[in-house]
Amino acid sequence: MRDQIVKYISKLVSDRSAMPGEIAFAAQDDVITAEGDPRLAKLAADVLSRLTCLGMAAARPSLPFADFLVARAPEGVSCIVPRDTETRTFLHDIPFLRRGELAGDPEAAIARLLGSRKGVIVEGVGIVASGALTVEQAYINWSSVFHSTFVTYLRDVLHDGFIVPGEAEAFAAFRIHWLHPLTAEGLSFRTGPLDRPDDILAEIATVGRYTVERGLVDSFFGNISCRSGEVVYISQTAASLDALAGCIDPVPMDNSSTFGITASSELLAHRRIYELSTAATILHGHPRFAVVMSMECEETRCGVTDCWKDCDRVRFLGDTPVVAGEIGAGGLAKRVPPVIVGPRRAVVYGHGVFTAGDKDFAEAFRAMVEVENWCREEYFRRLDGMGAAAVE
Amino acid sequence: MLRVDLAERRAWTEEIPQELLHGYLGGRGLGVRLMREYHGLDPFDPAMPIIFAVGPLCGTQAPTAARLTVISRSPLTGTIYDCSAGGRFAWRLKAAGVDLLSITGRSASPVALRVTPGVAEIIDVPHLRGKSVHETVAAFAGEGSVAAIGPAGENGVLFANIMMGEGNSVGRGGLGAVMGAKGLKAVVVNGDRSVAIADRERFDTARQDVIRLFRASPVIFGELGIAEYGTPALVDLMRQRRMAPTENFRRTIFEESGNYSGPAIRRDFHAKKDGCYGCPIQCKKSTPLGEHLPEYETVSHFGALNGIASLSAIVRSNTLCNELGMDTISAAATLSAWGEARGRFPDGEEVQRLLSDIAFRRGDGELLAMGSRRAAESLGRPELSMSVKGLELPAYDPRGAYGMALAYCTSNRGGCHLRAYPISHEILRKPIATDRFSFSGKARIIAIAEDTNAAVDSLVACKFSFFGATLEEYAELLSATTGVDYSPQSLKEIGSRIYLTERYYNCANGFSVKDDVLPQRFHAEAGSSGEGIEVPAVDRARFDEELQKYYRIRGLTPEGKFPDRDFLLRCP
Repeated sequence: MRDQIVKYISKLVSDRSAMPGEIAFAAQDDVITAEGDPRLAKLAADVLSRLTCLGMAAARPSLPFADFLVARAPEGVSCIVPRDTETRTFLHDIPFLRRGELAGDPEAAIARLLGSRKGVIVEGVGIVASGALTVEQAYINWSSVFHSTFVTYLRDVLHDGFIVPGEAEAFAAFRIHWLHPLTAEGLSFRTGPLDRPDDILAEIATVGRYTVERGLVDSFFGNISCRSGEVVYISQTAASLDALAGCIDPVPMDNSSTFGITASSELLAHRRIYELSTAATILHGHPRFAVVMSMECEETRCGVTDCWKDCDRVRFLGDTPVVAGEIGAGGLAKRVPPVIVGPRRAVVYGHGVFTAGDKDFAEAFRAMVEVENWCREEYFRRLDGMGAAAVE
Repeated sequence: MLRVDLAERRAWTEEIPQELLHGYLGGRGLGVRLMREYHGLDPFDPAMPIIFAVGPLCGTQAPTAARLTVISRSPLTGTIYDCSAGGRFAWRLKAAGVDLLSITGRSASPVALRVTPGVAEIIDVPHLRGKSVHETVAAFAGEGSVAAIGPAGENGVLFANIMMGEGNSVGRGGLGAVMGAKGLKAVVVNGDRSVAIADRERFDTARQDVIRLFRASPVIFGELGIAEYGTPALVDLMRQRRMAPTENFRRTIFEESGNYSGPAIRRDFHAKKDGCYGCPIQCKKSTPLGEHLPEYETVSHFGALNGIASLSAIVRSNTLCNELGMDTISAAATLSAWGEARGRFPDGEEVQRLLSDIAFRRGDGELLAMGSRRAAESLGRPELSMSVKGLELPAYDPRGAYGMALAYCTSNRGGCHLRAYPISHEILRKPIATDRFSFSGKARIIAIAEDTNAAVDSLVACKFSFFGATLEEYAELLSATTGVDYSPQSLKEIGSRIYLTERYYNCANGFSVKDDVLPQRFHAEAGSSGEGIEVPAVDRARFDEELQKYYRIRGLTPEGKFPDRDFLLRCP
């Protein structure tokens, strides 16, 4: 398991979500193994020893947003409730421990919270997340909490401004130093049409890796497909987009085989897009600013309370349509295909972005970059318009 | 709980101690706990109880929780035994005001037990002797939900099932024979009592969370998932993974399996959705006339394992087993072992004739009714029984999934795929994919999954729920229902207690490391490699190493036993 630990420490560094040097993982087989920052490694191992699970990740995020969310939370509140679809679905809520609650036996307190949830924020320490069956799962849960706190914090700031001392300065540093320009420049794509299975599998694996490397997805979120004739090649469920070799299912369009039962939960959405359009490729990611901005709804007299599921309106972020719909069979597959046919791009409320290409992945990838860049600019335009000049 | 003594024709109620409810939840856990004084008895001893136990979520709208567990000691394996079943029986038993029904004693002539709120009657049913399950259920039409045995149970077939009137079975370990040995032909339950929910808002939120996760799961509600095609959705996948047991596990691919895939069954039999009471998944499939269509394990074992490609023959074999009250996996696997021993696997027609012979113990059926291990030993070819602890292996070849290989052996009820259900992560990628050709971490993973599933079987919920949901959501449902706070961790700790209790009983009955072994074929012969997938034999030394890790994780000795005799004394 040591190789797994090393691999996921490295991933948290390369995706820039955790502070290098402040990352640790622990895993238990018949004995416990822990690696990384010694203080966090001990914490991870101690917590793990109290739980019925295999893996544990403990790391300080590269951004202080989780701590700020804790500091901004009113007294008596003990968890963050994510509003983005993915973490809302899988995490439900994210409990936190304030600094003042860490006296005595902090490992026991963390283990108690992780006994009920997949990840916890420990103020001043970082995010601690468990993996029920694998080290990889601990990484995914850690990364999911990071994604959720990022989205939640940006949304909170947009609505309520800065509240806690140091926030404005930290946010300015994030904006200037942490955020990189998002671009498709420097990437090479195979020119379509793609019709040889080996080429398709290789290109899907390459483009999947691009989405991770360029920060269009966190964790394992997202999926990717290519249609060739009557077969849809699609990434498998719970597959890491930067490691898709061997994790792509060829699924017949006519459902004559159930071999694709392991395909992405969004297979139905992909298939319907192909049925309704001439698209040959589809890319789905969860770029963070698009997720944040998709939830900025100006409607003031609306009776819908479950916006993720029940909103039937089509809104727009620039020229990109925004629709509601939950994951898998939860409505997204019904609402996305009709609106993506024309613009070849669509945003799902609180969830992420779908883009399509007529020939190859270059068009779909660039479209996703454009959507995210538009949302990023619009976010800061609105934030700056609030008078939060301190962020500059 | 309702206790019934068939010998004295007496029924009475007792309170279940709160300590046991908290410590074992219900269903499998509670039943296993109540076997503490009986686990050493012979399965056919009149004093051996057969226990029907619902879980704390039964009667609520918790998804897939209208289930119960039946617990006793298996005459096939000699182990403690439980099996979870759906349908409507559990829900109606709960509505009759009964959480647990424990039946002991023996009636000299066939009887049925009728349970309604406040009333339990033992009625003589000599006219039902030898009747099929369908005929028996029909005899109680309009009286409630029925759990019955067929001729196989009456005649002591060691893999006889108890069949629910709705077509669900209490399968595998021969609890139908235990019921038959008591002279109990059927149990009929009905009632109208409702279940109180301590915190309705919390319950509704948790329920919505579960449904959202079901919708997000491709295995459950995906367009190729089990809601659409039932478990035969796995046929194509197992073929592609080259781990479909074929011709008594001599090969791991059956070229004609497409004949009985999920889409083929839908096309040829116009399959429609069917399922357990209140279940949103409806994974069972039936014909427009209501004939129940076979599950994955059944199509694969009556198909590939016996080299039969005819879907109609497979469906007929399934229906016959349901009518006679026999387990399809053990029946098909026993026929396959016998077929290899004689040098020819039975064809579809011969299978059907033999199934009847087994149920009525005629001709070759007398031998085959004992299951593959006893039959193969009797034929001087013990190595041909593809079983662990005498329970025939289902349709997941262990050479194609090493966690499955380990889990078959650590299972407390013998070669069963459902105790740890590693197919979930090794094949279906839920909740996360693991390397199916690696033992790394599998000892811990299997132990965790066994604990989790022991809790699931005690709630009692369907394991298919956990292709989407987790114990997080079900702990919420339980807390909201009972008003007592549970967490996934506390449920897994309860699951561990249940699992170790079962293991303790088995050890007390002589089981040890010598029984936690795969048939030698899996260590000596490779599977069917091809299409870029190598299926080597399972490395015995590596397997043993992982098994020893498992023992250490469980706190057992290298012999797979308990280091002291006080384990039960430390449990509530």
